[in-house]
Amino acid sequence: MRVLIQLRPSPDLVAAVADPGQTATTADVADGLPGVELDSAFVPVAVPRPVPLAGGDPLSLNQPLDFSLAAEDASVLVRGTISDDELATRVTMLPTIRPDVVGVFADPVIESSLTCGGDPPVGDWHDVERLINAAGLAAEGLDGSGVALAVLDTGINAAHVARHLGRGVTLDAERSWNPAGVTGRPGEFEVDHGTMCAFDTLIGAPQASLIDIPVLLSARPGGSALDGLLSDAVAAFAHLRTVLDAQPADSRSLVISNSWGSFSPAWDFPVGHPGNYSDNAAHPFNLIVASLDRAGADVLFAAGNCGRDCKDGRCAYPDRPIVGANSHPRALSIGGVDVGGERVGYSSQGPGRLTARKPDICAYTHFSGSKAFGDTEPDSGTSAACPVAAGLVAAIRTRWPSSRLSPAQLRALLRRTAEDRSEVGFDYDYGYGIVDTAGIIAALQRRAKSVA
Amino acid sequence: MVLITVRLPPGATLEDAISRLGLAEEDVDTAYGLVLIDPDLGLYGLRVTEEAGRRTGPPFSDPKIEPYGPPKRSRDGRPGPRSPGSPP
Repeated sequence: MRVLIQLRPSPDLVAAVADPGQTATTADVADGLPGVELDSAFVPVAVPRPVPLAGGDPLSLNQPLDFSLAAEDASVLVRGTISDDELATRVTMLPTIRPDVVGVFADPVIESSLTCGGDPPVGDWHDVERLINAAGLAAEGLDGSGVALAVLDTGINAAHVARHLGRGVTLDAERSWNPAGVTGRPGEFEVDHGTMCAFDTLIGAPQASLIDIPVLLSARPGGSALDGLLSDAVAAFAHLRTVLDAQPADSRSLVISNSWGSFSPAWDFPVGHPGNYSDNAAHPFNLIVASLDRAGADVLFAAGNCGRDCKDGRCAYPDRPIVGANSHPRALSIGGVDVGGERVGYSSQGPGRLTARKPDICAYTHFSGSKAFGDTEPDSGTSAACPVAAGLVAAIRTRWPSSRLSPAQLRALLRRTAEDRSEVGFDYDYGYGIVDTAGIIAALQRRAKSVA
Repeated sequence: MVLITVRLPPGATLEDAISRLGLAEEDVDTAYGLVLIDPDLGLYGLRVTEEAGRRTGPPFSDPKIEPYGPPKRSRDGRPGPRSPGSPP
């Protein structure tokens, strides 16, 4: 365990520590503490002594106090480690053999507070553009030109996206599709969640062709204003299969961005029931995801907003909240980090239910971008991270159709090149790490040479 | 309503599925139609009443899906009130 050790060495040594003009090392102050591995890189710190005013209680901190850094009053802190299995013994015994030891205190890991829902934006979409190296992608000819990118959500408002991006948007109305009963024209839906997602896809793939599929506007019995039913997603994927099959086999590419999922087991059959969705790879939707992957589509799902630190209030799974297709072995499950590279507190952690190793990777979220929810509101949730990653995938597909790089190979590439945040490879917070465009470009260049 | 699957030849129609499964038209969400799930397997899906699903089975759940954002603030990590929705 890491500890802080407070000592009271000789006054001249205390004076040397307290004087910024002099240099005193940990070895000078605390050499030879048995059983303590001292951190020699830590510069000793002088700690002032609380001094009560005249007539005060010498042992109370709940009174007016002065603080003295005088050499005869102050003490010194050094840092070290004591073996966990001997901690209690050594902490007790140290002052008995070293009278200069005043106390031994825990030195806990401190972390910055994680970004949560309701927090203001962290950075903006230009930061994301820089972090995913959109310029580097474009320089490689990877800008999404000719790549179909389907956004399954609440519908896209293309004019809003174009206005806030400051550039034109390519919307593929012909291949867009509405669930039965949903009215509205592609690219002309009210500004909402789907517009945010569309905006975020275009950060990495500015030339991609958006396919608008407002699957969350279902008008079926059981649905409401901004949700849908999984059966609509089944039908949407069936439509996308026809889109894919209509493309020439040697240039086939279709990226499908899904920033939605199921929040509650109350809407599903119980786990173990043969018709269950959350834990059942044989559910029709999980089958059609596998079918699209096999046909050459890249399927991405948001990991969800049920992270332990500040989960969305709707989260009702008691554990393992990455469920159903969001944990599908043939889909990329995307967690969220802010532009500082820290996991946002709401990003769902693994293990997943269909596949344990989820999320796969993380991408950026909680930045000021589309302003779909107001000028001061961020593009947030793993809902934003998923389309950011989908844009990156679409950019790659510009020159790497599924005939050259299968969806499975592309998933492996993204996992292998991700910036590991855990020092141990995969972990359930960040997956394999944060998307790393430089690593992706380098790997693609090597691959291009090897197949040339 | 629930989802069920059926194997049919290529180019099958909803009428083919209804006939194969012995369903009545009122058992089926005809607006939803017949959806091709996996052409390689000849596997199709349709939406039927729960009773018809039990009869032709196995019935698959058709849960509500929602956007994953923006997250509702809950910094203490406790789940909020249960979302509305009825179990199948």
